Amino acid sequence: MSLAFYYFLSITAIYILMSWALYLPYRVGQLHFMSIANMAICGYFGAYAAKSWGWPFALVLLAAVGIGGAVAFITSLAIGDAPCFTVVIVGFTYIFLIKTVIENWDLLGGTMGFFGIPRVKGLLLITYSIVFGAGFLIHRFDRSALGRAASAFFVDRDLAKSSGVDIKKLGMLLQTFSGILGGLCGVLYGFLMNNLFPEFFTFGMVGTCMTMLFVGGYTTMWGVLVSAPLLWGIPLLFPPEIASWRIIIYGVLLIAVLVIKPEGIITRKLVYNAKKKLFGRTKRTS
Amino acid sequence: MEVFVAQVINGLALGSIYVLLVTGFNLLLLVALIIHFSFPQVVVFSMYISWIVLKATGNNMLLGFLAGVGSSVLICVATAPLFQRATRKRRGVDINTTMVISLGIGMIITELLSHEFNEGFPIAFPENVAGRKALVQFGLISISEGQVYALAAGGVAVLAFFLILYRTRMGRAFRAIAEDPQNARLTGIPVLKTGILSYALTGLLGGITALLLSILLGSASAGLGESVALKVLAVSIIAGLGNLKGGLIIGILLGVLEALTQGYLSGSWSNAVVFGVMLIVILIKPKGVFGGRL
Repeated sequence: MSLAFYYFLSITAIYILMSWALYLPYRVGQLHFMSIANMAICGYFGAYAAKSWGWPFALVLLAAVGIGGAVAFITSLAIGDAPCFTVVIVGFTYIFLIKTVIENWDLLGGTMGFFGIPRVKGLLLITYSIVFGAGFLIHRFDRSALGRAASAFFVDRDLAKSSGVDIKKLGMLLQTFSGILGGLCGVLYGFLMNNLFPEFFTFGMVGTCMTMLFVGGYTTMWGVLVSAPLLWGIPLLFPPEIASWRIIIYGVLLIAVLVIKPEGIITRKLVYNAKKKLFGRTKRTS
Repeated sequence: MEVFVAQVINGLALGSIYVLLVTGFNLLLLVALIIHFSFPQVVVFSMYISWIVLKATGNNMLLGFLAGVGSSVLICVATAPLFQRATRKRRGVDINTTMVISLGIGMIITELLSHEFNEGFPIAFPENVAGRKALVQFGLISISEGQVYALAAGGVAVLAFFLILYRTRMGRAFRAIAEDPQNARLTGIPVLKTGILSYALTGLLGGITALLLSILLGSASAGLGESVALKVLAVSIIAGLGNLKGGLIIGILLGVLEALTQGYLSGSWSNAVVFGVMLIVILIKPKGVFGGRL
């Protein structure tokens, strides 16, 4: 496998996980950008732990699950049922706060970045195992009673509340899972690139993941599986002078999709019809 | 004590800019029901346009100002159809969609500024625009031209805005739509036209803010819009979304807090403190201190 293809596959997988990290809380109408801050926290922690304390990769991944989950859970106690714009601003504030701390902390390399993260054998396999594991859990969630409750909440907040849906607990669960995914992505990205820069965890990252989610379709988990490889891969084929306009292309695409086809390319109806064609009669779930 | 007084003066000038931005942001939120997160990025874009015109015209202040205001109004009005299409149903989820559209606009503006303008380098305004000259100096306490202009023009602009809102027919139409768009339509208020007017007025506020920021800071960078956008939305949430008077108080308080931390803490650690305080307040009071209008 060529090095370019290896990086394409690895980074695509990381973007799929990050877009899912946004997809899950958006099931209840919350754009939880805090996962990107969690990505930075866990990425830097894992990198430091592996380089300075000699932690094995498996332990670093476990720590990412613990730290990412704990940070998101503690925050979700306050914003589990908060409106979307409050969750957005908490996420952005976290991102700026963490970025500022990293930039000013010499131990983490400051603005120059953190180098010398050890290489891990079989990282691509591990990354895709995590993608499959996370995908399976999200699929199960979407088909569960909780997933249906999230759908009801997205359509009508008041009706869902009156039907007995515990909005706060649902929001907390999804935000915590999102935080764990963010943490795992931070570690995977750090060990893939063998270095980390605070500039990576900013608006650009938010914009990329958001575009993948909304262009692919935010109503099903399958949308990002289509949009992540396309949106990440196609600009790589362009000449460098066009590829450098990637974020502008993402911005235009994002706006166009929201105005023309707000549910994105892959909709629930499309998934339902595709399943029906492939497997005959199918149970309509989430 | 001298540092404290000097920083409070700095903070008041900075706070008046935040107030202008929050007022424009809240106007669109109340009347057009959109969360224009990237409004500060539009303001920074106007600063860049002013800078280009100033360079091209040999620092003609009037043309620079007109170009800044014109570009801000133009962007706000030109993007209105995008938001209006998304808010047609006027439901909670649609408000979120407007925020995502606005984030998209912000992405495009920031990336354009960092690619195409001044080869991505920050811009610096000429001496006759940037009000760095000290008007009053007592030891460490210094009041610059920029601070005086920012405070005075910010105060006048906000006062004029509140007069329009509470003393004119147009202002009554704005407030009626903010209270109940359906009833406003029934009473004969042209909702679409008033909505477009709110975009234009927000653009005007944006242009004035761009001028004041140019005078106060004397420079701008592509990333400036992002950090200001974050603070403006945070001020708006802490005050209570759509609460104009609350935005006025919290905007000034944030400006003073930011200036004080800059006075006593080194480097960008002061930013971390400001973001930390904002985060704690939002986590404790996610629905705002003064209560929201939405």
